[in-house]
Amino acid sequence: MAQSGRVVKTVAGVALAVSAALCAAAEQRPDFTGVWTNAGGPGIGGATNTAPAAPPAMKPEAKARVDAYQKLVAKSGDSPGGWCLGTGMPGSMLGSGGYPMEIIQRPEQITVVYEAHAEVRRIYFGDRNAAEADRVPGRNGYSSGHWEGNTLVVETNNLVDQIDQRNTSHSENATIVERYSFDGKDAQGRQILKAEMTMTDPDFYTAPVKITKRWAQVPNGRVLPYECNEEMWRDRIEKLATEAGVPVP
Amino acid sequence: MNQSIRLFSAALALALAGVASAHHSAVQFDFTKQVKYTGVVKEFAAINPHMRMTIEIKDDKGLHTVKFEGHSTNNMYRSGYRKGMVAVGDTITVSAAPYRDGTMGGYVIAAEKPDGQYFGMRSTRAQDAAKAAEETRKTAEGK
Repeated sequence: MAQSGRVVKTVAGVALAVSAALCAAAEQRPDFTGVWTNAGGPGIGGATNTAPAAPPAMKPEAKARVDAYQKLVAKSGDSPGGWCLGTGMPGSMLGSGGYPMEIIQRPEQITVVYEAHAEVRRIYFGDRNAAEADRVPGRNGYSSGHWEGNTLVVETNNLVDQIDQRNTSHSENATIVERYSFDGKDAQGRQILKAEMTMTDPDFYTAPVKITKRWAQVPNGRVLPYECNEEMWRDRIEKLATEAGVPVP
Repeated sequence: MNQSIRLFSAALALALAGVASAHHSAVQFDFTKQVKYTGVVKEFAAINPHMRMTIEIKDDKGLHTVKFEGHSTNNMYRSGYRKGMVAVGDTITVSAAPYRDGTMGGYVIAAEKPDGQYFGMRSTRAQDAAKAAEETRKTAEGK
């Protein structure tokens, strides 16, 4: 009895030590919580037109589809955003239309809110992850994260086909890896967050597509609400009123 | 303009072209040019993704009803707009990127009322880049 009590105490002690070590490790992680805006500026990446240094090697059949899409929308200038569709990955993490983003960091989940279209990405850690079969495909896919030292590594899959991505079109079989780390301060004294993106898509590209994006922290910043469909709803009500022969209520 | 708005504007200025082209058919506007109209507000809505404004302009050819669109509500707030600033019946001077086809109106870059109330982005891509670079340089030099 006395011996089993010692075993229990020992196991409990080890568990406490492991738990404390894990907590300490979690506490030592860089905290990316806050509002971030496009770093912009010469030499540190563009604002919204973030593109690979060199055009990625695209497979002929994929290029034909992308070219056909771009030709289709060239005259009107239509885009997913113009029709209130979220930017989707990797466009969201590469600039999100020039609008800021907010990162809310917890040990088991990091939530990224992009102001444009109020787009949200959830990055799950460890047991918080959904079972593979339960992951719903979408424009931002499904993201799971882990830490490699002070670098946050996010892997995203379960994407949908997006030939409408600016510079980074991809198929539903694309996988995107983002590596986030602090990258010093800029000339204005702002903390810089570096995001190194690698997209692999055997259906679209013959080699991985790599882009580095930099965000600058906005101290005490606020991401604003963004309800995108107001204009279209207004048009709809005006149309209904016209058809009914009544003034807009 | 306070410091935070100014810093944001510098970044926003560089993003402006991308923001504009991200929504609807910005290809119809020439963002390298700027036109200016003064008139009376007939309709105004700060809505997303694009604000709408109709003003009535009187010139030697008569009375014109001129339609504009502009930035999202979010970007308008960041550039100085506040609720109630523009109302039907107000006299307003609008700076806009013109329609490429010559139609009166355009994409609102800035708007000012006779009492000095103002909101606005910078005017053209080239000027945006130059001004943003200058602001960055001054900030870096502590001026």
